[in-house]
Amino acid sequence: METRTLLVLCVLCDLCGLWKGMGMPDDLVGELKKLIIETLKLEEITPEDIVDDGRLFGDGLGLDSIDALELVVALEKTYGVVIPDSEVGERVFRSVHTLAEFVREQRSAISRPPAAKE
Amino acid sequence: MKFDEIEIKVRFNEVDSWGMVWHGHYIAWFEVGRMALLEKFHLLPQDFTQMGYVAPVVDLKCLFKEPARVAEEILIRTSVLKPTKAALTFCCQILRKKDGKLLASGEETQVLLTLDGRMLYMIPQDLRERLQPLFRYFEEPDAAA
Repeated sequence: METRTLLVLCVLCDLCGLWKGMGMPDDLVGELKKLIIETLKLEEITPEDIVDDGRLFGDGLGLDSIDALELVVALEKTYGVVIPDSEVGERVFRSVHTLAEFVREQRSAISRPPAAKE
Repeated sequence: MKFDEIEIKVRFNEVDSWGMVWHGHYIAWFEVGRMALLEKFHLLPQDFTQMGYVAPVVDLKCLFKEPARVAEEILIRTSVLKPTKAALTFCCQILRKKDGKLLASGEETQVLLTLDGRMLYMIPQDLRERLQPLFRYFEEPDAAA
């Protein structure tokens, strides 16, 4: 396969969110798993125990509403992202995967320069 | 830690058949102390509702150290921790007045919800301003100390 073809494939995979599906490492997902474990002092859990698409709350990892509050503070401190309430939280905290997507979106929105006024 | 303090007397209906205060009443006393404190700062449940919030209890801890008995005078002490997240945590102590013996201590945590049940992950500015005098009170040195 030509270099150019490979490059195009890589870009497409990244755009389509297939990065994880191809078994490639995702630093942010790993970072977030560590952040969850450290913030909530989940001493008996390792990052490998947390499934990327597994539920974080309820019958998944078993987190509760107080855990969500702790995580929101840690996420704001670490990544500068804001999760204002449970309406957003229910979507974002569905899994580590959805959390990583949210952090990526928010960070790119923060770093994006405001549109110039006409 | 600075505490707000009120006094009660153990009633006959609060003791069990062993003559000791039934364990659930200590939790009710925590509530008595918390309400007395919040009333001073106009932060009673109805004040929260007027602002558009409710604050349900999500965590409650109590350590029982020694029993209170009928007709004893009891001190209920209440304090509040400066929040590090969108929750209010109150610390409570129950003491026997005559010897100052600590009978029970605990903690109670409340989260914030809008009236339609949305849980807040950050303390809204209007509520933050209303809570400020309460936190300031506990930061100030105790005049009696």
